[in-house]
Amino acid sequence: MKDIDYVKLYAEKLKSNPDLFKQQKMLIESQLHASSSLFNNMFAGKNFKENARKYLKNVGLTK
Amino acid sequence: MDNKKGYELKEDIIIINRDLTELDIFVKDFIEILKKHSDYLIVSGFVSISTGRTRGTEDIDVLVPVMDKNKFQKLFHDLIYNNFWCYQGDDVDEVYLYIQRMDNIRFARKNEVFPNIEFVPINEMRKAKYFEFTHPQKIKIKDFEFKIPPVEFEILYKEIILGGKKDIEDAKHLRTFFSDILKEERFKKYEIIIREEKQ
Repeated sequence: MKDIDYVKLYAEKLKSNPDLFKQQKMLIESQLHASSSLFNNMFAGKNFKENARKYLKNVGLTK
Repeated sequence: MDNKKGYELKEDIIIINRDLTELDIFVKDFIEILKKHSDYLIVSGFVSISTGRTRGTEDIDVLVPVMDKNKFQKLFHDLIYNNFWCYQGDDVDEVYLYIQRMDNIRFARKNEVFPNIEFVPINEMRKAKYFEFTHPQKIKIKDFEFKIPPVEFEILYKEIILGGKKDIEDAKHLRTFFSDILKEERFKKYEIIIREEKQ
């Protein structure tokens, strides 16, 4: 099954079964926690904004 | 499982039958501050994710009409007071230069990098964006009501203008999930506007 077919199947099931939103919530929050933990570790104990801005400039998210 | 569907339409408001996620709460906190100062429209990935698409995102795109410096200063200070920080700087005069140039700026919660709000200044020159901004669809999840483009417009924009794998999958999700309420005449009308943007 291709990714796009899976997207369609999941959306069809979600229309009639909102319980599936619980899985989506878990996935989204797990990603948020992982990201938060990563950056807290990267910039812990330092000037967060200054170091975050350097990082964001290096990865091209800011000019 | 109860008898509820994934969503329902009540008085032209799309009600999504789910609990708020931490991502929703982040967006809600930002929008509650923003709307004290300006109108707005949430577009792109968050539209799909808020309606059930299961994928991660790092940024939430919010269209905001260009505002004068005085108004922007009040908004900026309100955001900082409420524990957001701006990627582009702490000095409101410097950050306002981005708005004047119609460049996007980003805000995240204090001591966090992601998720972030991508604040997209718009005016009437950006025709497709201005059209969707002036034709909002209301959507509600629990007590969080916010504005998105018409779903047909969002689908076509992803299919015609953006066109990446993620965008095509988002469009497929929206086409399938909202198949009962999508209107063919709207697709025809919006396609003309979007194709003009592409030229």
